[in-house]
Amino acid sequence: MAGELYNKPILFAVVATVVILIGTLVTMFYPMMRQEMHPKLDNLKPYTALQLAGKDIYQREGCNNCHTQTVRPLKTEVIRYGDYSKAGEFAYDRPFLWGSKRTGPDLARIGGKYPDAWHYAHHENPQSMFPKSNMPKYAFLKKAMVDPPAIEAHMKANDFPYTAADISALAGKTEMDALVAYLQSVGTAVKKKASRVVAEAGARQHEKNPLAGDAKAIALGKTLFAENCEACHGANGQGGIGPSLADDVFFGVKGDVADDDYFEVINNGIEPGMVEEGRVAKDTMPEFKALGKDKIWSLVAYIRSVQGK
Amino acid sequence: MADHFVDDIEKFEAKETAHTLPVGWVILFWALILWGVYYFYMYTPSLGGWSQNSALEESLQK
Amino acid sequence: MNEYQYDHQTVKGFILSSIFWGVVGIVIGLWISIQMWNADWNIAPYFTFGRLRVVHTNGLAFGLGVGAIFGIFYYIVMRLTKRPLLFPKLARVHLWVFNAAIALAALSLFAGMNQSLEYAELEWPLDIGIVILWVMFAVNIFGTVIKRKEEQMYISLWYIIATVVAVAVLYIVNNLSIPAGLTKSYSVFAGVNSANVEWWYGHNAVGFVFTTPILAMFYYFLPKSTGLPIYSHRLSIIAFWSLIFGYLWTGAHHLVYTPLPDWIQTTAIVFTIFLIAPSWGSVVNGYYTVGSDWSKMQSQYLTKFFIWGITFYGLQTVQGPTQALRVVSSLIHYTDWVPGHVHMGTMGWVTMTTAASMYYIIPKIYNTEIYSVKAANTHFWLVLVGQLMFSVTMWITGIQQGALWKATNADGSLKYTFYETLIKNYPFWRLRTLAGVIFTVGMLFFIYNILMTIRKGSILAASKA
Ligand code: HEC
Ligand code: HEC
Ligand code: HEM
Ligand code: HEM
Repeated sequence: MAGELYNKPILFAVVATVVILIGTLVTMFYPMMRQEMHPKLDNLKPYTALQLAGKDIYQREGCNNCHTQTVRPLKTEVIRYGDYSKAGEFAYDRPFLWGSKRTGPDLARIGGKYPDAWHYAHHENPQSMFPKSNMPKYAFLKKAMVDPPAIEAHMKANDFPYTAADISALAGKTEMDALVAYLQSVGTAVKKKASRVVAEAGARQHEKNPLAGDAKAIALGKTLFAENCEACHGANGQGGIGPSLADDVFFGVKGDVADDDYFEVINNGIEPGMVEEGRVAKDTMPEFKALGKDKIWSLVAYIRSVQGK
Repeated sequence: MADHFVDDIEKFEAKETAHTLPVGWVILFWALILWGVYYFYMYTPSLGGWSQNSALEESLQK
Repeated sequence: MNEYQYDHQTVKGFILSSIFWGVVGIVIGLWISIQMWNADWNIAPYFTFGRLRVVHTNGLAFGLGVGAIFGIFYYIVMRLTKRPLLFPKLARVHLWVFNAAIALAALSLFAGMNQSLEYAELEWPLDIGIVILWVMFAVNIFGTVIKRKEEQMYISLWYIIATVVAVAVLYIVNNLSIPAGLTKSYSVFAGVNSANVEWWYGHNAVGFVFTTPILAMFYYFLPKSTGLPIYSHRLSIIAFWSLIFGYLWTGAHHLVYTPLPDWIQTTAIVFTIFLIAPSWGSVVNGYYTVGSDWSKMQSQYLTKFFIWGITFYGLQTVQGPTQALRVVSSLIHYTDWVPGHVHMGTMGWVTMTTAASMYYIIPKIYNTEIYSVKAANTHFWLVLVGQLMFSVTMWITGIQQGALWKATNADGSLKYTFYETLIKNYPFWRLRTLAGVIFTVGMLFFIYNILMTIRKGSILAASKA
């Protein structure tokens, strides 16, 4: 029989197809029939019209060729990017945008990490913040307008809910507005967790800065500031996207706060609504707990030196 | 003229060694299958108990 | 001249088209390799890295790779069935539709029409075009094989048939989508499930575009160019069936440590490791074949292309499975290690083997000899050095990246910001561009040699007529 097979092309093709389909059935079609492949987190929301327009631009520009959107359940990865990705976060992505190469950082938790203004500035000219970054400049998105009728068709194809008002609200929005709206939505169905890994480093009741006034620490803080903070707080903390750190205004209210309040803000980042010493934050700042205790205290020492304290 | 283009199928495959399988290769073949059974058992949550999320939790405890 | 002449012109047409798209793809490869260490080489909006990278991968996989497959398969099928193509005119139309499709594909990718599925980026109207293209090809291949004048189907025909059916299934399923206008669509699959479908496709696109067709060439041209018969028929049989059986289980090794259920990842890893055996079945068969007379490595210039090609295939099929293991994946996944792996396969195995096949075919259809064996040898050494330099630098920088991302201080905090780890890649990325230039110069020798052989052959034919 075996010999026959190699003289009968049609039979051969049929047998080959069957052989190919076995693995296909078990690892691809069978899982598709199972609920575990179609999970959805309860608070995951369909994209709004503006967000979908932004996601279309993300795909058009091939951002996924440099950026992944999935945090692996590995210790250092969770420290760097935040909580690992859950299967139920991607139900509205057709297709998934996990990517396969990290030329740039993972974006699975980018939503709510930075203020909008940061994204506008960064996309327009990444090198203004990271001089040697290889991310292309996307300034042209600021001039290109989204096309409401096309977006409406895209909403329909995805079966996402929308109103006529949502579509008319798109008029006058730029592609940059849309892209930023999309990025701010990515990964937000999972609530940010207070750090588990370096948790004991934060939440300390009115502790003095152990490195206060230390010249070496101030010098280190200055370098760290230039690398991590200057893009938002300006040179020497004079202010920019984020507020001035040289003055004695904290969260928009005049009057100094303690060293460890500074520590906490830098360690945990800032979310709108966050309360510190009775003052309420209105804007967003990324967390820097990955820097570790010593570096954060060095930054506080540096900020104090800028304040002349 | 055209015979210059015609292949002699007979000459494509050796006769004497047509049924030989190198021993090393056969060992490799079966060893990989055995290893596969072991690995499948160890790393399937419902069998060996391992899962990538519980492995993360463990590594965070340390 | 003879009954094959018309079909041979079609074969030649495919070979030249494939080389043309290869040049386009390689130039863009050089361009994106520079963009990775100097962002000023981005020209927004059409020529930014995000858009060019897909032109590079599609141009080379579909333009160079599939174009070569079409032409070389037509040639092999005629030889092994001992007859001209059943539908010669259809094959000629196929050639023109192919070139039109690749040109449109490139333009659409520059314009940013992109489904975001790796190796299936093209939007739905082009997908339909590609399916039609494949049907035209399949009809001719199957028709000619069914009407063959040689009873037995040789090994190469098995791989050709497997390629034709597998690509059809893979491509159609993965591209199922809901159109939302002429240039935009959304996949019918969502989230985790779409990831599983995409990599079932993606891995097997590599399997059935960069592996089985190249093996079909290898099994045909190795005995033809060396005059040595394939060592073991039995080994060929076992390797073939276990390869095409095993391949389809392995897609999820691209999704290790993602939210895809653990059991699917584990199953994929198991079969991935198993694949070493069938892959090495062909490697061993090739070695034993030439083992009966190693002097062919020197005396017959094509032998070294095929033997080094299958050696890189062998290395590739050990490295690939290793990458799937969870410990290894956790270090090298998402890093430049992977492009290192990719280019050893594409430059060392695919391009090496297809170029050698073209070296064999072109003189044959003109009934002459290659223009310059010396140029062919220079080509060989340059692409070898270029490829090794590319892969080795990428492996080093990949391991470095992986290690820096994981590095922690005593207090458990991270040692490096992402930006710090990025900048450390630049010296290696610069070297990669240099490696690419060396490879490209090698390819220019190849192209020159092919064109001069065609010239020589045409003059010869004219003088005879
Ligand atoms: C050539 C690769 C490349 C491409 C293409 C690219 N980026 Fe980036 N991206 C980077 C690199 C490198 C960084 C880190 C340095 C920096 O911030 O500039 C980065 C940083 C970012 C960040 C900040 C992430 C963080 O957590 O700090 C965002 C957001 C971002 N990119 C979005 C995008 C979007 C949206 C696109 C597509 C329009 C895009 N990128 C295209 C390479 C790229
Ligand atoms: C992406 C932009 C961004 C970056 C980067 C950033 N910050 Fe901020 N930061 C802000 C914004 C915005 C606020 C204001 C929050 C509010 O008041 O609601 C802020 C507030 C602060 C505050 C509270 C003081 C005040 O005047 O309100 C401190 C302290 C601070 N940042 C320190 C740092 C340090 C240190 C770094 C670097 C490690 C840093 N920031 C990096 C955006 C940023
Ligand atoms: C001069 C020669 C070449 C150069 C300089 C080059 C350069 C590059 C670069 C810079 C990338 C992107 C890597 C990244 O994102 O980190 C890439 C990806 C890729 N190239 Fe090439 N390339 C060359 C030749 C080839 C050839 C001949 C082929 C195929 C036949 C090929 C196939 C691919 C594929 C499939 C990818 C995607 C890899 C992945 O997703 O991991 N390349 N190449
Ligand atoms: C048995 C053989 C092979 C196995 C098991 C294998 C396995 C793998 C694995 C596990 C990856 C994912 C790496 C990662 O992202 O962590 C990968 C990527 C890749 N391999 Fe292989 N490989 C094999 C042979 C080949 C060959 C012969 C080629 C031919 C050119 C090739 C081309 C590629 C490409 C293009 C990618 C990149 C996919 C992407 O991310 O875009 N592989 N391979």
